[in-house]
Amino acid sequence: MKQLALFLVVGLSGFLFEVAPAHTEEPVERIKKFSDFQQIDLNRLLAGDVLSERGSLMEFPNGISVQTCFAMTLSAAETAKRLQSWDPSPHQDLKVYAFHPLPVPCELADFHQLDFKSREYPVRWLLDKTAATTGAKSELNLTREEANALAGCSQKRPNPQKLSECWSKLLLDRASRFQKAGLAGVPPYELTRSTVSPIAQLRTMLLEQLAVASEFQPILKKIGLLGKETKPSITPFYYWTLFDANHHGTISLGAVYALPVETHYQVVDLEYYVSGDYYTSATLYEIWPAQSGEKSGALVWRGDYFAAPVLAYTKGTERIAYGTLMLQDIKKEIRDFQDDLKTK
Amino acid sequence: MDPPRKRPGIGWLILVGLALVLPSSHRAFAASMGVSQELDAEYGYVAGAHTRNAGKVDENSADVRYVISPQITKDLLLRIGAEWERFDFGVSEHLPIPDLLQQASLVLGFDYQFADLWIMRAEVEPGVYSDFRDVKWNDVDAPLYLGAVYLKDPDLQWIVGLRMDLRSHYPVLPGIGVRWKYADQWTLNLIFPKPRLEYELSNTLLLFFGAEMQGGTFRMSEHFGTTRGNPKLDNAVLDYTELRIGPGCSWKALPNLTVEAGVGFMPYRNMDFFDRSVEVRSYNAPYGQITCHARF
Repeated sequence: MKQLALFLVVGLSGFLFEVAPAHTEEPVERIKKFSDFQQIDLNRLLAGDVLSERGSLMEFPNGISVQTCFAMTLSAAETAKRLQSWDPSPHQDLKVYAFHPLPVPCELADFHQLDFKSREYPVRWLLDKTAATTGAKSELNLTREEANALAGCSQKRPNPQKLSECWSKLLLDRASRFQKAGLAGVPPYELTRSTVSPIAQLRTMLLEQLAVASEFQPILKKIGLLGKETKPSITPFYYWTLFDANHHGTISLGAVYALPVETHYQVVDLEYYVSGDYYTSATLYEIWPAQSGEKSGALVWRGDYFAAPVLAYTKGTERIAYGTLMLQDIKKEIRDFQDDLKTK
Repeated sequence: MDPPRKRPGIGWLILVGLALVLPSSHRAFAASMGVSQELDAEYGYVAGAHTRNAGKVDENSADVRYVISPQITKDLLLRIGAEWERFDFGVSEHLPIPDLLQQASLVLGFDYQFADLWIMRAEVEPGVYSDFRDVKWNDVDAPLYLGAVYLKDPDLQWIVGLRMDLRSHYPVLPGIGVRWKYADQWTLNLIFPKPRLEYELSNTLLLFFGAEMQGGTFRMSEHFGTTRGNPKLDNAVLDYTELRIGPGCSWKALPNLTVEAGVGFMPYRNMDFFDRSVEVRSYNAPYGQITCHARF
């Protein structure tokens, strides 16, 4: 029954996505207006190039953004559909240990593949940090209640099986609350230096880039990131993932929203919970049908927004290097996505 | 032989002062994301090193450097600051060894991302480089440092650079380095002048083993040689080189403050009055040093 529900969410979303192709110059000119790209050669993008730019320096100390622009040989509708449910785990260079969709409503069994038995250092790091968690102190992003539950679970002896079960309960609780209440159901992190609301961090970053926020207003309002509503009026693709972030095992819960807007599509991949290392992230995509001569496909603009405590102390050249390296990882992801869609 | 003169541990005073001020100062300086500040301070002591015709010569060294870096464009940052460095040697005045080598200079330069994966740095440090006995215009020097880093990926970066000092015996000194995190907890940080191998014990504690090249080019005073029975060393230019090798640890006391301590061995120290064909070498002495790095 859950499998059918999942199929219906993804399948019906795809069925609703057919829109007419736009005039060739329009997407390029539109992207130039709100993004940092002033020169976009559609031919080169359709040939496989990926444009990239570090975002402007934010006044928000925890935030950083980067932008990329690339093309797909599929239609805009198909690209938007595939983006929503793309699984990065088969690509070793992306260091994703597990990626699993979540049905609505999700259950404990949906997290049974969360496995801490791996000998990989990043997974052992997460195991050790979980075992070291107390009700008052943790290097992980937790509420006090979650920290107490994990501390009770580990009892100073990190049994991987037991800790997977405890983490599964924590993730189920967070995912269920998000599925019911949207952004209003995202609790803050209470064991960081000061209480941190990941959703507030995202809003602050987006409001610093008004051109982008304005362009993405249709989907951001429907998600509840902008405007007064906090419960989304569109149903996303939900997922959980375990991956290596800076040699640290990291679990995240995410939701990917997609919305047809006029002649194009907007997609937002929102990580509403991250276990550690950074607070939250959002990836915004705008996908346009595009044609250049006989070549047709989809033109994709992507903006990545990332909030992390370390960024408050990363300034000057170090921040430039941080943004550059972030772009490296994102370009790898884009190339893997492009390769996947060529072969499937 | 006269007993060597000891200078007060000025470096210790500076480090203590920094230790009291730095923990609270980050709040004051954290205001703008468009301006970054760096403060580095180091103090070291090398015990008596065997020196031919001079017995054992010990050394106190101190280095304080402050740079403020405003971001001008997305890719360009200016670097403006100052550096003060000194080497105090426990020697008698009749030996052809200065009791003090000191640098007081400005730091002027910029960082620029000139390509997708490349960032360059250019810095000139105009100032006085001498024994500070009689400071004159010929004590002024302006070494130039050029470097570039290639950001291959988060775990691998390549660095090339050179130092230009027209007063030195080696006016151009090139160098190449790499920072390679080849395993989850191991990093090979082969970057001159402090190449080292690092092991990450935790998020805040790092152990390392490495080397450090210290030195500079300094002008002696007008009567330096005469007062030491060797007038040909008056106004001489000295290339100073020192090598230290040993283990240490690095502790991230605050998110923007790192304290390092190291001990080891100084196998070699050379004072080369190259334009007067006089060289004084010291060998084999233990050392200890402490360093603070603060970023705002």
